[in-house]
Amino acid sequence: MERYPHIFQSGTIGKLVTRNRIKYAATETNFPYGDGYVSDREVAYMEAQAKGGAGIVTTQGAYPDKKGEGKGFKGMMSINDDKFIPGLARIADVIRANGALSSIQILHCGREGGIELDYCLMPSIVPQKLSYFKPPREITATEIKQAVKDHVDAARRARQAGFDMIELSGIVGYLISTFISRYTNKRTDEYGGDLKARCRLMIEIIEGVKAEVGDMAVGIRLCGHELLDDRGGNTFEESVESFRIAQEAGADYLSVTIGWHESSQSVITRDVPMGHWLYIAEAVKKAVDVPVMMAFRQFLPHIPEKAIAGGQIDFVEMCRPMMADPEFPNKIRQGREKEIVPCIACNACFSRLYYHQPIMCSVRPNLGHEGEEEWGYYGFKPAPKKKKIAIVGGGPAGLQCAEVAARKGHEVTLFEKNDRLGGNVLIASMVDAGAIELMRPIATLEELCRKAGVSIRLGVECDPAMVREEAPDALVVATGGAMKGVSGEVLTPQDVMVKDRKIGQRVAIIGGGGVGLGIAVYLLRHGEHEITIIDEGGKPGRDVNPFYFWQYMALMKKKKVNFMKRTRMTAIEDGRIGVLSPSGEGTVEADSIIMSVFYPEEEVWGRKASTLAKEVYFIGDAKKPRRIINAIHDGYRLGMVL
Amino acid sequence: MIPVIDEEECTGCGTCIEICPPGAITLVDGKARIAGDLCEECGFCAPECPVEAIKIPFPLKGP
Repeated sequence: MERYPHIFQSGTIGKLVTRNRIKYAATETNFPYGDGYVSDREVAYMEAQAKGGAGIVTTQGAYPDKKGEGKGFKGMMSINDDKFIPGLARIADVIRANGALSSIQILHCGREGGIELDYCLMPSIVPQKLSYFKPPREITATEIKQAVKDHVDAARRARQAGFDMIELSGIVGYLISTFISRYTNKRTDEYGGDLKARCRLMIEIIEGVKAEVGDMAVGIRLCGHELLDDRGGNTFEESVESFRIAQEAGADYLSVTIGWHESSQSVITRDVPMGHWLYIAEAVKKAVDVPVMMAFRQFLPHIPEKAIAGGQIDFVEMCRPMMADPEFPNKIRQGREKEIVPCIACNACFSRLYYHQPIMCSVRPNLGHEGEEEWGYYGFKPAPKKKKIAIVGGGPAGLQCAEVAARKGHEVTLFEKNDRLGGNVLIASMVDAGAIELMRPIATLEELCRKAGVSIRLGVECDPAMVREEAPDALVVATGGAMKGVSGEVLTPQDVMVKDRKIGQRVAIIGGGGVGLGIAVYLLRHGEHEITIIDEGGKPGRDVNPFYFWQYMALMKKKKVNFMKRTRMTAIEDGRIGVLSPSGEGTVEADSIIMSVFYPEEEVWGRKASTLAKEVYFIGDAKKPRRIINAIHDGYRLGMVL
Repeated sequence: MIPVIDEEECTGCGTCIEICPPGAITLVDGKARIAGDLCEECGFCAPECPVEAIKIPFPLKGP
């Protein structure tokens, strides 16, 4: 019996028939070259997506114009010239060869474009809210005609490259969306005015593309809700109507998205409950007849299964869940759900794009290395010499290292002093709403470790003497970081969040990194406190992803948290903390003092470790306290070479 | 891609050290140096450098 019968029924788009209702959605990668050519890395990544079992695989957006006004990312793929067709054809070929239908996205980034220019093109000059983007210049009537022609020419190239479908994109601040939105379109010519007029560019592009490649299916992504009410954006009703207008112009499928990049509301972070946005897709679906699809926080398969069964969507789109695990479709079809490497919505992938870096994934270190054998995406070659490996610590670093090492044929034993795996993730998972999702990769790693034959010894505090007895060939220290100066009246994060120690009204937190901010958020969610954060650096939360940082800082501001930057703690006595700041010496009084600064592990293993085994390695926080991405990547990279 | 520091340009001001999420940058002889095994290749440092001494070695030319 099929567990997800609605996901795994075939579907139709125009005249095309899909093998199921999953679509890998367009995702920029920064894998292509700076001049727009497709790279081997991009082809290998897309091949992995097609092999993963999705019914439709969409390429990343390719910019259609010659000047690069549509280019929004340093490594964005281009479709502005015939010379790019052979590279694009390689992507179409690998998708077809693996049984999926291919859709190529044509994307003019508009308000977010002109990455290498000193301006971006917009219907009207509306100043940027996000400083990263280029100053706007008003697009002329001639340039509008050119933009339509660019899309049509791109569509012809897409057909020549062998794609099944074309996807247009009018979302988040990209060119088409800036015309549709009342917020950015103040034009008085025929491209501005009421909604129908603001949709004119979209209509001309759809009609032009359909006329050029009438035999292909043409879909479009639009905003179902801009979340720009505070700045005079479209109403929800107008957004829904824009989908109907797109259908009328000839769109064969409609992809519903939520929010603009400059919306001041959470859209894709962990605090947004899974499936939250489906009501918007449902409103669109009621207004149109062609297939409707949506991504956005549908990470667990029962959510789209129910949404398709209930008629809210026809297809589910997946970006981040399939970046984290391209095999997501195959795994849910084969009943291997526990093996899915789960996206934790950390958005490391997303933020990297804006820093000219290829995407990377916290939970899947081999992302972008699918074509490189040593990274083991399609499995590892057995290690030349089978070793006995002892790993101390069952947090993300230790688990990931154990999993890879065992898959390579080593005999791996993992020691965890607690009766539960997870290490510091157990604490991190309690910080805010949705943080419990951080435990999902731990559960997956546990499952994969057991499958690979790792011997997991829970509740065993492994010390150097025990290692000596075990006599492993390699010792991996993954015990997490250590704290200094926490005796007496100073509490640890563990004391606050796990041991439920009583916390007073006035709280001082030493350290303003991610751990310190996490403790503050946790406390403020559970009670009223006057919090002072004492940080030696000048930039608190430097290790917190921007997607979460702004939320945390908004809460801190609201609750009047006092930040003492560039301030060092000099002494602690009876609830009084001596501090030294640029303005001189002072004292902070507190009922509770919490230490949040971790140091590399030295006390237990530091010097002794090298005498315990021939090979000794430190990974994760034991090497240097950092984030979950570093712990998992440390573990994976070590596993690769063991 | 691990950023590259132009030592001629670097003034050793420490801005990048403060911004680096994994704390992979230190000052060595008055110049910023990135520890390759700690760098997570996020690229956050490059736009923060006041003298543009940090470059991301993005591959510009296709085949």
